[in-house]
Amino acid sequence: MSADVAPAPGVSTLRLQARRFRRNRLAMASVVVLALIVALCFLGPYAFPFTGEDADFDNISAPARLTWPHLFGTDDFGRDLLVRVLEGGQVSLTIGFLGALVAGVIGVLYGAVAGYAGGRTDGVMMRLVEVLYGFPYVILVILLSLLFGGGNVALFAAIVFTLWLTPAVIVRAQAQSLAQKEFVQAARAGGMTGPAIVVQHIVPNCVSTVIVYGSLLVPEVILSESFLSFLGIGIREPQASWGNLIQAGTAAMGSDLRLLLLPGGLLALVLLCLNFIADGLRDAFDPNDR
Amino acid sequence: MTGSLLSIRDLGVRFRLPQGEAVAVDGVSLDLAAGEVLGIVGESGSGKSQILYAMMGLLAANGRATGQVLFEGQDLLALPPDRLDRVRGDRLSMIFQDPMTSLNPYMRVGDQLAEGLIVHKGLSRTEARAEAVRMLDRVRIPDAAARARRYPHEFSGGMRQRVMIAMALLARPKLLLADEPTTALDVTIQAQVLDLMAELGRETGTAIILVTHDLGVVARLCDRVAVLYGGRVMEEAPAETLFDTPAHPYTRGLLAAMPRLETALTPRLGTIPGTPRSGGTVTGCPFVDRCEARLPVCSTDRPPLRDLTPGHRAACHLTGAAP
Amino acid sequence: MLRFVGKRLWHGGLTLAALVTLTFFVMRLAPGGPFSRNRKISPEVQANIEAAFHLDEPLWMQFGRFVWGVLRLDLGPSTRHRDYSVNDLIASGLPYSLTIGLWAVVIATLVGVALGLAGALRRNSATDYLAGLVGVIGIAIPIFVIGPVLQATFALRLDWLPVGGIGEGWRSLILPVIVLALPNIAYISRLTRTSMIETLRENHVRTARAKGIGWRRVLWRHTLTGTLLPVIAYLGPATAAIITGSILIETIFAVPGIGRHFVDAALNRDYPLVMGITLLYGAILILLNIATDVIRAILDPRIRNER
Repeated sequence: MSADVAPAPGVSTLRLQARRFRRNRLAMASVVVLALIVALCFLGPYAFPFTGEDADFDNISAPARLTWPHLFGTDDFGRDLLVRVLEGGQVSLTIGFLGALVAGVIGVLYGAVAGYAGGRTDGVMMRLVEVLYGFPYVILVILLSLLFGGGNVALFAAIVFTLWLTPAVIVRAQAQSLAQKEFVQAARAGGMTGPAIVVQHIVPNCVSTVIVYGSLLVPEVILSESFLSFLGIGIREPQASWGNLIQAGTAAMGSDLRLLLLPGGLLALVLLCLNFIADGLRDAFDPNDR
Repeated sequence: MTGSLLSIRDLGVRFRLPQGEAVAVDGVSLDLAAGEVLGIVGESGSGKSQILYAMMGLLAANGRATGQVLFEGQDLLALPPDRLDRVRGDRLSMIFQDPMTSLNPYMRVGDQLAEGLIVHKGLSRTEARAEAVRMLDRVRIPDAAARARRYPHEFSGGMRQRVMIAMALLARPKLLLADEPTTALDVTIQAQVLDLMAELGRETGTAIILVTHDLGVVARLCDRVAVLYGGRVMEEAPAETLFDTPAHPYTRGLLAAMPRLETALTPRLGTIPGTPRSGGTVTGCPFVDRCEARLPVCSTDRPPLRDLTPGHRAACHLTGAAP
Repeated sequence: MLRFVGKRLWHGGLTLAALVTLTFFVMRLAPGGPFSRNRKISPEVQANIEAAFHLDEPLWMQFGRFVWGVLRLDLGPSTRHRDYSVNDLIASGLPYSLTIGLWAVVIATLVGVALGLAGALRRNSATDYLAGLVGVIGIAIPIFVIGPVLQATFALRLDWLPVGGIGEGWRSLILPVIVLALPNIAYISRLTRTSMIETLRENHVRTARAKGIGWRRVLWRHTLTGTLLPVIAYLGPATAAIITGSILIETIFAVPGIGRHFVDAALNRDYPLVMGITLLYGAILILLNIATDVIRAILDPRIRNER
C-alpha cells in the first residue's frame, strides 16, 4: 500500500531538469568531448597493429611527426606513445567512473541510514565519519593502498574508502529532513520496515543531490588515481595510466615535452569536461543556487 | 495641501525578465504634505512596495524607474548615487518588511544605529552611541544601554522591528517609508509597533508613507489613502471619505472583505472573484476582469483619475459617467 | 570561548589518537618490513637489526613504546636513514615544507579573495571572466601537470628560475609556491564570488544601503564579514589540500621537505618516520581547523552563542 505514496521526483520534474541541462551549451559540449575521449581511449588502440606494451626497437624515442604508425612518436623503450596514452586513459577512466559509483553508493546508503535512523545510531555513525574526516586524506590513501598490498585493486579500494565521506554527509542531511515528511511517516504507519523505507523512499528522493555530487566525485577519483600513480604508489609500469605516464613525461621533459603534454593535456581536458558537466548538473537541478 | 514635501509624478517601474518586460508600477502620481500620513493599500503584486524601493534607489538590478520623484524639490530618480546617499538615511528613511533579516547579524545593534549619525551628522562615535541609546530607550527597548551592545539575534522579532524604527527615526527624517512593517510580526504586537511608529512620527514631525494590505491599520493611522491595483492608483481620498463613500468598485470590494466589529454577525465576508492579472501593459482598466460592474468601454479605454470632490479622486468609467 | 576551544582541543586530541593508532597498525599489517628489501643479509644479522629497533617484540609492546616516546616528544630512530632520529629528519625538512606551505596559503587567500570580490562586484566583466578562467585552470589542471610544464618553460627554456632544489634562496621558492597556490586560488576565488553575490542579496545589506552611508562603507562594513565567513571555514580543509599538494611539490621540485620524506618512508616501511610525520600532519590539520573555528566564532556572534 505504501510504495506509491512517495512523491518521488516525478518524470516531469526530471524531464524539466534534463531540458535545463541540455540548454547549457558548455555542459553539453563537455558531454560530447568526454564521450569522444572515452570512445577514443577504448576503441582507438584497436586501430594500431601493436599494443602499448610492445616495443618497436627500430623506433626508439621517435619524435612526434604525425606519420603512421607512430603518430606521436615512441618513448625510450620504443613503445608507441599515443597507444600508451589511450590505454592509460582506459585505466584512469574506468577507475574514475567505477570508483565514483562505488563510493557514491556506499556514501548514499550510509548517509540515508544514518539520517533516517537518527538518534544514537546517527550519532555513532556520524562520529565515525567525523574522525575519518579529521585524517589527512593523503596519509589515509597512501597507507590504505599499502595495506591492501599495492596494485590496481588496492588503489581502487583506498580511493573509494577515502571518498565516500562527502556523499554520506550530504545525503544524511537530506535524509534527516525527509524522515520528518508526511509520506515517510505514512509509510511507517502503514507498517513498512526501516530498510524498505530507506531504499524505496529516502534514496529515490535524494536522487538529484546524489547526481550532482556524484558527478563531482568522478574527477576527484581520477585525480586521486593519477596523483598516486604519479608518486609511484598506484598503477605501476609496464601498465600505463595517466598518472605514471605524466611521471615518465616529467622525467624526460628536459629533452622532450611531448611525453608530458600528451597525457597531461588529455587528463586536464577530461577533468575540465567533468567539472563543466558537474556545474551544468548543479544548475539544472538547483537553479536557485546561482 | 500646501507646502508639498513630496510630489511623485507619473512614476513607472519596469523589470527586465527573461520572458519580457514586466510593469510593476504604471503612471503613479501622489503628493504628500509635511507631517502627513499616507497609506498605500493593495494586494500583493500591486506594485505598492516597488514605489518605495524606487524612491530609495533600491530597485533590484533588473528594475528601472521612470518619471519624477520630487522630494524637497530634488528629483530623487535623477540624483547621482553620492547625492542620493546624502538624502536617504538622513531626511528620507525606510523601514522594511522583515525585521528578522534586515539587521546586520555581525554588528552590535548600537553600532548599526550610530553609523548613520556618524556619516550624516558628523557626530563622534561616543556621541552617536549615546544618541542611539536614547533612541532605543524611546522605542521602549528595556535596558537600552546594555541592549545596544548586543547583536540582533539576541532580540525578538518585535524588538528588532522597534530597533528598525529607532534606526529610521534617529536622524529625524522629514519622510519615513514603511513597507508592511508588521506583516512578519505576531498579531499581538503588530498594533503596538505601529502605534509606536505613528506616535514617534508625530513627535518628530515626520511624514509617513505606510504600505500595507491591512485596511484596519490604514483606518487607525492614516490621514489619506491611495488604493493601488495593477501598478496604478485606483482611488485616492482622505481616510474617512474613503471608508464612508468608496467610489471605485475595487475599493468597495476591499472594504467588503474587511472584518468589522459591527458586522461580526454577518455569516461571511465578501470576496473579490478572480486573481489579479500579472505583467504586460493593459489597454483598459486593470481591474476589468474581476469587476462586477464593468462596461464595454472598460476593456478598451484606460479610465483617468478624476476628482470627485476636492481631495477624492478615482479612476473608473462608472464614477465619471454618473457623478 | 575558552570552553569552546577546550572542547575542540579535546575532540581534536581524540581524532589524533585514533589517527596515530590506525596508522600504526595499518603500517604493521601492510606486507613487507623495513629490512625485507635488503638482498643479502644473513638471518642472524637481520634478527640483530630488528632487535635493535625492537621489531622482534610483540606488536602491543611496540605500540606502548611508541606512545611512551610520543609523550616524551621522542619519535625514535629512522630505520632507513641510519644514524638519524625521526626528530632530526623532521627538524631538517619542516622549515622548507612550512615556508612553501605558508606562502602558498597566504598568496592563495589574498589572490583568491581579491579575484572573487572583483568578479562578484563586476559580474560578467573582463575581470570576472579572467577570474573564472583562473578558477577553471586551477581546478582542472593538476599540480603534477602544471608544475612540470612551468618548470620546462621558466627553468629549462627561459632559464629565469631554478628547476628545483633549494639552492637559490627565494628564487627557488617562486615556482613551488605558485604551483601549490594555484588550485587553492581557484577554489577560494569561486567560493568568495558566490558568497559575495549571495551576501549582496541579503536584506541587511539593503538596510545598510538605505542608510545612505555610501557604497564603500556598505561593502566594507556590511558585506565583508558575511562574505568571508565561508571562505575562512574553507581554510581548514584548504590546509589539508596544501599538505597533499606539498607532497607533490616536493617531489616535482626536489625540495627536501617532510612530504617527500613521507612518501619515501611509506614505500620503504620506515615505521618510525611514517608515524612521526603522520602525527605532525594530523596535529597541524587539527590545530588549523580549531583556529578557523575560533576565527569564525569571533566574527559571527551567532556561532559564539551556540555552544
